[in-house]
Amino acid sequence: MMTKKTNKKMVEIRDLHKYFGELHVLDNISLQVFEGEVVVIIGASGSGKSTLLRCINRLEKADKGEIFISGHRLINKESYINKLRQEVGMVFQHFNLFPHMSVLKNVMEGPVQVKNFPKEEVKREALELLVQVGLEDKANNYPAQLSGGQKQRVAIARALAMKPQIMLFDEPTSALDPELVGEVLAVMNDLAKNGMTMIVVTHEMGFAREVADRIVFMDEGKIIETGKAEDIFDNPQNPRTKDFLGKIL
Amino acid sequence: MFMPYDFSIIIKEFPVFIPAAILTLELALSSILLGTGIGLFVSFARISKSKVFNIPASIYITIIRGTPILLQLFIIYYGITSLLLIDPFPAAVIAFGVHNGAYIAEIFRGAIQSIDKGQMEAARSLGMTYPKAMRRIILPQAIKRALPALGNQFIITIKDTSLASAITIRELLLKSQQLGSSNFRFMEYFIIAGIYYLTFTATFSYLVHKVESYLAVSDH
Repeated sequence: MMTKKTNKKMVEIRDLHKYFGELHVLDNISLQVFEGEVVVIIGASGSGKSTLLRCINRLEKADKGEIFISGHRLINKESYINKLRQEVGMVFQHFNLFPHMSVLKNVMEGPVQVKNFPKEEVKREALELLVQVGLEDKANNYPAQLSGGQKQRVAIARALAMKPQIMLFDEPTSALDPELVGEVLAVMNDLAKNGMTMIVVTHEMGFAREVADRIVFMDEGKIIETGKAEDIFDNPQNPRTKDFLGKIL
Repeated sequence: MFMPYDFSIIIKEFPVFIPAAILTLELALSSILLGTGIGLFVSFARISKSKVFNIPASIYITIIRGTPILLQLFIIYYGITSLLLIDPFPAAVIAFGVHNGAYIAEIFRGAIQSIDKGQMEAARSLGMTYPKAMRRIILPQAIKRALPALGNQFIITIKDTSLASAITIRELLLKSQQLGSSNFRFMEYFIIAGIYYLTFTATFSYLVHKVESYLAVSDH
């Protein structure tokens, strides 16, 4: 097991604002995530948590404020953003696997096409990653032949193949049948134990309690409360946090 | 003048049409190739957020789809010839290519836009550039989805080459007309031309279908 949390700031968000038309989806967000830390963002749908995550790898462009990824400020330059995205793995709610490629090719696509690494080496590492997510026997299958849980594990392997410094998870289990949630959370749990810096948007409170170093509660585009899992869950300070937890726990 | 049909002519004269059939095929394939190239390019222009690209693309599509193909053929051959001499064959390829380009552009645009937004996001999240994500991730899926409509358009093109007879290209239709007027056996010659057309279109349908089922392996 790698050493957990260091003092190195992997993600730093300063005074971030984002509007969708009139709607103020992110309202003055500031957040720091340290190396090896697992931060879980919770909140009702529409509270801005996914948008915040998507701003970090620039799938959404913030209207105001700054984001730093391991010390480098996110600037408005295409080539720079492409470079940065190689350091930030993203896992989506709907997997977004490439349906025209086999599982193995999905995992190899990033390192081969983006980093131009030699195919043989990438293939070996991709197979190791598939072992890590428990899908080595599915390497030559197509995504359409997998269950939701298997798809999401491939998606995680695909993101890991880029050897990112940070992993972002956008409701990774929300589209899964209940009985498939566990296998995906188990993979994420392993990752966390191995010291991966992770920002996770999820409704899985059990996972949040068990794995998160810090919980961030968002409501109406604002960070309302942040703290250790046991503090947030057992002793929430803000009435809105109490109200939200009361509804879902 | 009454004259009984003599269908033995169909078999006897069938090989006489081979050069015309080859010409028809050359015309169709060149037009398809040019049209697909133009169509792909214009579909990207049409999708582009930049007005410099998407407005001309829309104008082109509106003009081409809104006017008859025969008129377009005449404009390229007779119209432009007053400035610049073009042989009938290249004139027809240009006219059919430009004509098909407009339809194929719309087929590609629809197919590209029908691919889930998450595909582009996943590709970009890996650090891919937009062109690479288009080429590696979006287009292979879009082309597969566009294939039935493309096949349809290709078959229309094969049939539309008969219009080239109007600018003196001796393809199948003109050939049958000319032979028919030499001995008034129009029906027999038209049937020969029809058999050639049907053979080409059926073969093409079959090939497109083959490619479709080959590409469907990832679906199940």
